[in-house]
Amino acid sequence: MKIYISGLYSGTNPQPGVGIARSIRTAYPQAKLVGVEYSNRCSGIHWQDFDEIWLQRPWDELNLETHAAEIKKVLDDGGLWISSIDLEIMWFAKVFPDGHPNLLTPPAGALRQVGKPAITAHEGLPVKIPTFVTTEISDWDLHAFCREHDWKVWLKGPYYEAARTRSWAEFEEKRSILSSAWGTEKLFLQAHVSGYEESITLAAYRGELLDCVRMRKRDLTELSKTWAGDVSEVEEEFLAPLREMIRRINWTGGAELEMVRDGDNQLWLLEVNPRFPAWIHGSTITGRNIPASLVAGATGIAPEESPVLAEEFTRVVMEIPVRPEYPLSPLPEPLGGRIGHSLKHPSGLVQFANRLNNLSVFDEGEESDGTASVFQAPRVPPSFIDDLGSLNITAMETPASLFLENTAAEYFEKAGALVEELSTDELRVTNAYSIKTNPDARLIKLALESGFLAETISLLEVKKAIEVGFKPEQIVLNGPAKWWRREILPEGKFYSIFCDSIEELDQVIEKVESGELQTEHLGVRLRTPNVVSRFGIPIDTPEVFERLIDAVQRIPKESKFAVHFHMASSNVGVGHWWHLFESILRWCSSIEALTGRLIEILDVGGGWFPEDLQKDSAGNFRKAIDLIPDFLPHVRQIISEPGKALAQPSMAVAMQILELRNAENSVAEAVVDGSIAELPMYFFYPHRILYQNMQSGDWKPLGRGKTKLLGRLCMEHDIVASNIELPETAQVGDILVFCDAGAYDRSMSYVFGRG
Amino acid sequence: MYLEGVSKTLTETSVNGAAQAVEAVEKKAVYEHWKNWHASQISHHGKICCEIAREWITATDFSELNGDCVLTGPRWLRQKFNWGASTFPIYWCEAVRRKTLDCGALAALAHEIFTARGLKSYRVQLIQKFSSVATSQWTNSWGSCGEPLAWTKGDLIYHEGNAIDIGDRKIKVWDASAGWWVDSKPANGYGAVLAIRLSGLNLSAGESFHWGEQTIKACEWKEIC
Repeated sequence: MKIYISGLYSGTNPQPGVGIARSIRTAYPQAKLVGVEYSNRCSGIHWQDFDEIWLQRPWDELNLETHAAEIKKVLDDGGLWISSIDLEIMWFAKVFPDGHPNLLTPPAGALRQVGKPAITAHEGLPVKIPTFVTTEISDWDLHAFCREHDWKVWLKGPYYEAARTRSWAEFEEKRSILSSAWGTEKLFLQAHVSGYEESITLAAYRGELLDCVRMRKRDLTELSKTWAGDVSEVEEEFLAPLREMIRRINWTGGAELEMVRDGDNQLWLLEVNPRFPAWIHGSTITGRNIPASLVAGATGIAPEESPVLAEEFTRVVMEIPVRPEYPLSPLPEPLGGRIGHSLKHPSGLVQFANRLNNLSVFDEGEESDGTASVFQAPRVPPSFIDDLGSLNITAMETPASLFLENTAAEYFEKAGALVEELSTDELRVTNAYSIKTNPDARLIKLALESGFLAETISLLEVKKAIEVGFKPEQIVLNGPAKWWRREILPEGKFYSIFCDSIEELDQVIEKVESGELQTEHLGVRLRTPNVVSRFGIPIDTPEVFERLIDAVQRIPKESKFAVHFHMASSNVGVGHWWHLFESILRWCSSIEALTGRLIEILDVGGGWFPEDLQKDSAGNFRKAIDLIPDFLPHVRQIISEPGKALAQPSMAVAMQILELRNAENSVAEAVVDGSIAELPMYFFYPHRILYQNMQSGDWKPLGRGKTKLLGRLCMEHDIVASNIELPETAQVGDILVFCDAGAYDRSMSYVFGRG
Repeated sequence: MYLEGVSKTLTETSVNGAAQAVEAVEKKAVYEHWKNWHASQISHHGKICCEIAREWITATDFSELNGDCVLTGPRWLRQKFNWGASTFPIYWCEAVRRKTLDCGALAALAHEIFTARGLKSYRVQLIQKFSSVATSQWTNSWGSCGEPLAWTKGDLIYHEGNAIDIGDRKIKVWDASAGWWVDSKPANGYGAVLAIRLSGLNLSAGESFHWGEQTIKACEWKEIC
């Protein structure tokens, strides 16, 4: 019996080849084991269980046709082949579409059904698939996915690699790295599932499940790979549908189902690897030699029994002798001025993936010309286009800030309608416009006309609100330095004052008691535990909590008590924001119980994206209103602060193309007269970009492409869009409109490079 | 099985000689010593000071849970408190301000947390096997001037945790000091659980639960290994 085992990489994220060899050697001491590798840097070639090493040239220089012919001869001559390399297995499926009796890897049809992330073969198994989206959707929608899943998402490569992306900037960086490495933009984003990782590994031959075991990870490497685990039987509830699945997809070879078990005991299937796992010999140690069962299934030759040495296994690092016929190569020279020697993927797997991409191995035979755009352009509300139509942009000096008047009115109207809809006889919901979001008088006026309160963080903002028409009794005063420029404190009674610290609360209590300050409601801003923020009273220690309880008891009885919390849902995620909301209800309930002071107003700041505020498909707002009386039966008013959700879509920035720079027959870079000075939030979220066809005047949203938009500033990071698809008709002088620029893009924009 | 082993050795004492007899008597004595121990409690002054502390613990837990499943163990307790010696009685207002709490105090806090989450939580007492090296270290580091600790004996220790009812009479066992769910699979080595007892005012004698493959009767010591 001669068995070829490929994939002998044995670093900290190893391939299973060495483990397979150890297991087969246990079961078939007389078998001739041939280790197959594509780099002499893979240390597994020196493992003692291999009788021979068949060292090929790296994948990037390998003649695939010659190699395929050689493998066919090996198989025809009776050799078995067990592959540990996912990409090699995919290539085999192309070379041997109907399989080969001695090739112990899955056929093409089976592979397609375990392709991630959908893993269509999972039907019938007691597992769920974590939510995912392809990165072919627009950046706008990708950002929405990240928000929806609280930025607990993984950007995954098509075959290997996953990167956690905690912010938009990180997402863009990782997407660029993964796309470039794997030669494709077809990545996917998947929601994280918290829990404990476990796997089922199995062997099957022509649709018959031969053996399988469950392994729970008990120790992990830095990459969360298995370092130790325990092995047990697969229970019948899983085994029966697994057997059925293997039969249905006609699986041959090893496989590993990687799963997470969450707190509710639900299993989530992350991926199905078309090969044995690297820990496979751990199973053999427990007496379950899965590779041997595969060989036995394929040949009919019974293996020797593998002794039960333990129920658990772990790994150690060990030094082994180097085979003299494969002496170690020198280390490559570090690149000039760089630190470290690049040794990643020594066998050229990344380049192999690119070659397979070009051969359409992953596209089920569909040839790709590599030019057609697969990306969706973002959807843009019709009101944006209508508003742009009413503006004479070509007559404007660019970069220009555009006020989308009808859009603004529409969003304020919807916000007003929402609070009306949510209000009940017992609980009134009121909007407050956060002036810092965008202090443009047109927006403040819209807020006033729409029945909003004005939320301010300084006395200068109070002054502005009063100038536009607000009265002090319609103003909420907030923030850490609200008494700056005290000399302009207006006469009259504020609607509400929220103190940012216990020290400030003490001072305000003193001034209210002395009559120096008047406010209908007096309260505090809270910073709950587990929140990274510099604002509010941090109640994460019992000492501060006790001081807070004491201070609240001293609030004058004539001021009604109120509590404020603020967290940008666009940063922390929508789900997390609602958790924070419920968390604040619990804290407030405790404060009420401990102080005897009843909370009458709850002011909740949102930092909402417009879509998140309007969509609310889960009915979270209604649920929240319904929940409040359970915790705080005396709350009479909720103040909602949708400033960002209203201001952001209300303005845009028009820029003009100054220069087009070509490379490889396409526009690689375009210089525009705008910059990050007019678009400072560029790093935090994608902006939808509209391009105007100068002939027809039509506006078209731009999808993702290969053009970089460089700002006018002499600043390295002044890149206002990294990858957009400029129309072929684009020329110098054309106008691009960056939408969604009406919130902090506007209020935090700065003058730079204008002399 | 540990406890069976004890009684078996005792009956064989006269046959097999003095050394075995001493070992058996020691083990029996250890067990007898812990057999009537009660799960640790945190006391309440009956005043606002302790009520503030208790509200702070449960409200903090909800914040720390981060929207995760309520069956997620309150790992944050061990980030807040080091594991070490506590003195009893300990009051709520003292406990939350301590830098160090022992397994009993941590389990008592975890019990309060699980209960506030709406879960059925019971107290768990454990006998675990470690090594004489480990117990010697604890004896020295817990500042008892080399005097044997009441919760250690040879290579055995008395420990406390929590049991959470997850439905269908099944429980999970949380070790608040370690910050992990205790494996129900029997083992007989370093760290192994040898015996377990469930207790709590919300339990009736005779009620039984499944912990993995084990069946555990409330308020009775159960040998695991």
